[in-house]
Amino acid sequence: MNSRNKRLPSGGRIDRARPVDFTFDGKKLCGFHGDTLASALLANDVALVGRSFKYHRPRGIFSAGPEEPNALVTLGTGGRREPNLPATTLELADGMAAESQNRWPSLGFDIQSVNGLFAPFLSAGFYYKTFMGPTRRAWMFYEHFIRRAAGLGRAGVDADPDQYEVRHAFCDVAVIGGGPAGLSAARAAATAGARVALIEQDFLFGGQLLSKRTDGGAAAWLATIEAELRGFENVTMMARTTAFGVYDGGVLGLVGQQGNVDPDRAGSPRQVFTMLRACSIVFAAGAIERPLVFPDNDRPGVMLASAARAYLNRFAVLPGKRVVVAITNDSAWRAAFDLAVAGAEVTVADLRPVPASYLLAEAARLGVSVRTGARIARIRGAHRVNAVTLAGPKTQADIACDLVCVSGGWSPTVHLTSHLGVRPIYRGDIDGFIPGALPASQFVAGSIAGQYATAEAVEAGHRAGVEAASFCGKSKPARAPAKLDLRDTVSTPFRDPGSAGRGKAFVDFQMDVTVADIALAHREGYESVEHLKRYTTLGMGTDQGKTSNFSALAAMAALCDATIPETGVTAFRPPYTPVAIGALAGRAVGHHFKPFRRTPMHDWHQANGAEMLEVGLWMRPWFYRNSGRDVNEAYVAEMRMVREAAGLMDISTLGKIDVQGPDAAIFLDRVYANGFAKLPVGRARYGVMLRDDGIVFDDGTTTRLSENSFFMTTSTAKAADVLSRLEFLLDTAWPELRVAVTSVSDEWAAMSIAGPKSRDLLSAALPGIDVSNEALPHMSLLESAWQGKSLRILRLSYSGERAYEVYVGASAGERLWTHLLAAGEPLGLKPYGVEALGALRVEKGHVAGPEIDGRTTLDDLGLGRMAGKRTGFVGDVLRRRPAFQAADRHRLVGLECVEEGQRLRGGAILFKLGEAIQGHGHGRITSVTYSPTLGKYIGLGLFAGDLAIEGTEVLAAYPMKKEQVRARIVSPVFLDPEGKRLRG
Amino acid sequence: MLRIECPCCGPRDHDEFRYGGDASLVRPAHDDPVPEAWYRYVYVRKNPVGPHREFWQHVTGCRQWLVVERDTRTHLIASVSFARKSPA
Amino acid sequence: MAEVSALELSVADCLLVQIEAWDGTFEQFQSDLSRTFGIALPATVGETVRQPSLRAIKVAPRRFWLLYDTSGGPSVEVDPDLGALTHLGEGRIRVRLCGDRLPGVLAGCIAVDWRSQAVAPGKAIQTSFHGVPVLFVRTGEAECELIVPRSFSRSILDWLKDSAGGVELEGSDNSGMHPKF
Repeated sequence: MNSRNKRLPSGGRIDRARPVDFTFDGKKLCGFHGDTLASALLANDVALVGRSFKYHRPRGIFSAGPEEPNALVTLGTGGRREPNLPATTLELADGMAAESQNRWPSLGFDIQSVNGLFAPFLSAGFYYKTFMGPTRRAWMFYEHFIRRAAGLGRAGVDADPDQYEVRHAFCDVAVIGGGPAGLSAARAAATAGARVALIEQDFLFGGQLLSKRTDGGAAAWLATIEAELRGFENVTMMARTTAFGVYDGGVLGLVGQQGNVDPDRAGSPRQVFTMLRACSIVFAAGAIERPLVFPDNDRPGVMLASAARAYLNRFAVLPGKRVVVAITNDSAWRAAFDLAVAGAEVTVADLRPVPASYLLAEAARLGVSVRTGARIARIRGAHRVNAVTLAGPKTQADIACDLVCVSGGWSPTVHLTSHLGVRPIYRGDIDGFIPGALPASQFVAGSIAGQYATAEAVEAGHRAGVEAASFCGKSKPARAPAKLDLRDTVSTPFRDPGSAGRGKAFVDFQMDVTVADIALAHREGYESVEHLKRYTTLGMGTDQGKTSNFSALAAMAALCDATIPETGVTAFRPPYTPVAIGALAGRAVGHHFKPFRRTPMHDWHQANGAEMLEVGLWMRPWFYRNSGRDVNEAYVAEMRMVREAAGLMDISTLGKIDVQGPDAAIFLDRVYANGFAKLPVGRARYGVMLRDDGIVFDDGTTTRLSENSFFMTTSTAKAADVLSRLEFLLDTAWPELRVAVTSVSDEWAAMSIAGPKSRDLLSAALPGIDVSNEALPHMSLLESAWQGKSLRILRLSYSGERAYEVYVGASAGERLWTHLLAAGEPLGLKPYGVEALGALRVEKGHVAGPEIDGRTTLDDLGLGRMAGKRTGFVGDVLRRRPAFQAADRHRLVGLECVEEGQRLRGGAILFKLGEAIQGHGHGRITSVTYSPTLGKYIGLGLFAGDLAIEGTEVLAAYPMKKEQVRARIVSPVFLDPEGKRLRG
Repeated sequence: MLRIECPCCGPRDHDEFRYGGDASLVRPAHDDPVPEAWYRYVYVRKNPVGPHREFWQHVTGCRQWLVVERDTRTHLIASVSFARKSPA
Repeated sequence: MAEVSALELSVADCLLVQIEAWDGTFEQFQSDLSRTFGIALPATVGETVRQPSLRAIKVAPRRFWLLYDTSGGPSVEVDPDLGALTHLGEGRIRVRLCGDRLPGVLAGCIAVDWRSQAVAPGKAIQTSFHGVPVLFVRTGEAECELIVPRSFSRSILDWLKDSAGGVELEGSDNSGMHPKF
């Protein structure tokens, strides 16, 4: 053992038989199984572990838990690189390679520590002033320098190769925190018969008990209760798991670390995000010790007293041989005593004039020197502390030391209890905030509730466990746990007002916010704590100000001459500790990001050169590569094929709804703007639905299968909305109607055969079925069977050609598709995609999604005659409101490009010729296509009704491409207005 | 996340449901010709602080439309019932 | 019985009929079904009644799914004055899962408490799988069926296979074919 090893020869909760090799900034070091990275670094006498955010000041290990502001490291390389990890929470693992952050070229010699000299420029409100004020231009110049200079670790840019997982979990009682209160609560709830989840962020259970000496009663109590809990079948012990958020409905967000810790767990996910749904919650999250504010209080070697005690007793590391313990309360005296017992030379500087006599007696017994009414005035040592100046009421003394332990009292860890909006409340007797009035399903126990004495925490935990179980209806009698009285009494609070002097006195170590910054914010009027936070960035680091919050409030309260409750506390929001996005995503990455919907013919499309397009969740053929080199060439070729011969299109994505019941016709009469009651059996009708406000909702075709039964189709996009709407009306408005609506979208494979040769083709493919014009006229239905599957042929046209929609049981979809293609091959039948489909309907002037955009009425779309004088349907009354009748409302028009060699673009804004091109114009182009039939670009648009005179020329402006093209207003039906092609 | 206790399916995450707006409004009869009645139903909606009756549909479950009494301040749900009076 | 593997997954076509009674006609509807077709209906949503050749599941108030084991079960008709009947078998795929790892795999995709009475063996629930509506039928201690919309079935099977560590998809036991999408 060399002289730089601070590990004690015995004790602690480490396994000396299992050494662990790791590196820090490339240097090989050794620790033990059971260490954290921080404890192993301390054991190896590494005092300087990082550089601060703005000033690049040297920083050391400050705490022993997730509140750590300073000792942030980066682990891993490439896609596994993870920055800003507190060394105090990292379970040491073999081969761990940690890097310090925010230093260049090296940790010991950091060029940018001269930032400290520029400190006045980096003070509170720096960003606000720079962005908002006259220095904005200078920002452009300095940005690069500042961005390089200020910051923490750098994130990786490669894809993370590791697996993450999301899990859904359930329990009766969730206990957050595995310290004495939490262990006791979990035991009580489990005994009462509840399913319990005990959540502990550490890899060991015990909380503050782990910082007590291992030969005392605490260790025995802990071993007993932990064994008892592990024996319960109804208790899940979740170590290494942080409850980072509390959400409505008793939902907790938990993140568990596993993958990079234990080599035995190779192949398991690196992190697991658990959504735990709990009936009741016990918060036993403990408390965090507060630092003291004095000049250069951030120097490596300054550490929380509780942390020093944890390193000593839990990890068998003596962090200093000559220790000054600067405190304001009783609890930190015990750290002083333990350090003295372990062989350190200890001086206690208690700010209180008269500490309790039993403390003074114990100090005398252990040879601890005591200075009362004393505070630290000055720290000496550049990269680590080597002496302090203690200022008493009358005297001042320099004391050489290698460790300064500080304690300004404790702050209950109330964060999670306020995630649902419950503000913490101030309790004067502990000078701290405890959880406010929580919902009936939430309970607190232990230090989080100001119950700092271990005996009290154990009892309160038991009570909370019993009550939480009882809330879930589990109330078998529970025997009280063994008593654990560590005589750790609570002292009267004594707040340190903080001290000024030369050198920076830090409040928020991670964000480099000093007392002077808070004073500046106060002078400039940012007194509210929420303003203070945003102006100074206080509490906005990755530690979220766990150690700084109270000191900042106290400083602001003092400046405003206000009390702490008057000053208030900032809102705590999730996450409590940082959570990797990967953990939240779990397996929903790559092709699992969202579930895709595939039609029954999907595989055929892929195997036959279809370029697929995501349409909502659906995958649809966009165009077929056989038709042309790119989409523009292909869709025009596919359109020509449909106009001249025939094309086959997969339309299985259409929404399909089965509507049945004695009142089905009445129901459809009410939901469609046009009537359906008189639709004969075997006939189909195009229908438009409105919303209650009179705007068009969706369109589709509904066919009467029998007296009581209809087959409705909807647009692909609105299928789910339409079904929900129909169910809403039946459940809430017209429950007296006997109608059942069921989605049958997945039930049917659907294909459209369109083109002049479609009938020839169909009769060739289905020889047993009469598809003549007499048997199957336009807008009619034929029901049959094909290969034992139901078959429906509807004669409908979207393209304007003679066309049929063929529906067959989904399992036979691909078979019928290939059968039709084979039968149609001699007639030139080929498949076409959605691009051509969209273009064909523009030629025919059919409206679709771009026109039915949630703003247009029936009249706007030129469909007013469909409703005629009908009344009593959804949207009927409000569609007739005066505003919808205004002459300048945008109405559907057709547009054709009148400039040779130019094209129209969807989204272009329409202006009158000669008008200034500014503002919103008088309308816009909604859909465009090149029309092979007309040999030019055409489009549909919405244009002011009072200006929309057919034959008028307008200017279509497309500012994104700086284009202005003349277009002529024409009828929206470009092709066959009489409908000769689709009839006969 | 809200957890809504569907009367027939039990407690579920809110992402199984679709929101349907204020349930305290009375929809005019389908053939009510009075614009004022429809205007009030469609546009005049309260945004109360406190208890609120609202429609939710259990979309990925039983597909029933429900009336949920939710406190808008705390998201605590006081009751859930079927919108249809006699669902059987 | 053979040794239970970690997770087995098999896929079959789904013979499924939905029947629904009108508000107020349920008594008559039920007695007709029982008298004419010998089918007993479960009383509460989530309850299932196993009977020769099919399982009847109450999926909503007044609405039932008849899930047939093989074709050739009783062919049901419903008087339009009493209710409605809709065939749903073409649009769904029946996925059978069994094995010790089942609860773990499901915990990653369905927010269902495997230990709750609502999903005890013999119970069924409709819920969301990655946003997709599925019917989950607990058929045994460590086995279940998922009735999945056909259009989503490949995405869901891919997810299940990946989260189970790449299990091979077994052919169906009654149709002998893999699902076509």
